Amino acid sequence: MVYEFMHWLAQRDWAMDFAGSAWFYPAVLATHLCCIAAFGGMILVTNLRLLGWGLTDFSISDVVGKLRPWKRLGAVIMLTAGFLLGGSEADKYYPNPYFWTKMALLILIAIHGLAFRPSVYLNTAALDRAPVPPARAKLAAALSLILWIGVVCMGRLIGYYEGPVSAKQAAPASSSQQVASGIIPQ
Amino acid sequence: MLFLQGAPPTNPVSAVLNSAEWIFPTCEIFHIVGFGIAIGTIAVVDLSLLGLGFKQKAATRLRKDTALWTLTALVVVLTAGFVLFLTSPLHYLYNSAFQLKMTTLFLAIIFNYTVHRKVASSEIVSPGAGILVGAASLALWLTVVASGLFIAFVPEAGGY
Repeated sequence: MVYEFMHWLAQRDWAMDFAGSAWFYPAVLATHLCCIAAFGGMILVTNLRLLGWGLTDFSISDVVGKLRPWKRLGAVIMLTAGFLLGGSEADKYYPNPYFWTKMALLILIAIHGLAFRPSVYLNTAALDRAPVPPARAKLAAALSLILWIGVVCMGRLIGYYEGPVSAKQAAPASSSQQVASGIIPQ
Repeated sequence: MLFLQGAPPTNPVSAVLNSAEWIFPTCEIFHIVGFGIAIGTIAVVDLSLLGLGFKQKAATRLRKDTALWTLTALVVVLTAGFVLFLTSPLHYLYNSAFQLKMTTLFLAIIFNYTVHRKVASSEIVSPGAGILVGAASLALWLTVVASGLFIAFVPEAGGY
């Protein structure tokens, strides 16, 4: 079912035009990358503040509140560009384990946001009143950093997956595999 | 720089760097996460100079609080980037997107540690100057990122 949908998506006229365009595809990819530069720092800065590692001149409410609308804007641009990039080559991405790991991490990020919303992100005034930053705020920040760095790593590695067939052809079997398969006599 | 001459993998440095397939993607990941931190922290200051998000007055403290992160990440980005460059120096030197990237990178670094530092560090910023400097900084850094991406998309020149 998932494969049928992804195959159908990649066969749309817009998807085929987009994937084959000389300038539009790289321009959208550049936009996707620019979002890391423009909005990634906001995620870092928020988490540094929650950990108490930086921006201690500012209150947690200030950092979380002031950056929230800009992070939302960043997410909208990022997801739109990402949908164009992924959707236009959906059938190629279907067997790609890095793509699915990235999607799983994005789902975990959504769950993370919802899970820590009441206790951390919508509770900043109470966090500011606490004498030391509460453990749950630090946990939220640490998890957020790990998840986002994971997303960036997986995003880059998507481009290195060569597919189930060509990967086998490209990678020569290790000598132990060759021994096991009888190519090299024991 | 004689060792850089000759198309890869004829120079020994490139040969070593291309000998294991994990080296290039690993450097790319450090490069990308690094610029996310380096440019990302600069962008937070830029947006504040533009009066977006934080108030313009907050730029001074924002820059002070993020300066060490920016510098550390910049060192990581430049180091990883230099290793990526060394995998195939001539391929990059003749690439027009790479040339644009190096030019804007040079300007962006100079700008960041002269004009940007001065304007973001002075308590009395005229709103106009702040907006101009924030916009110029964002434009320079985003051009660096975008032209970096285009390195892989411009037509190959000179057969390298």
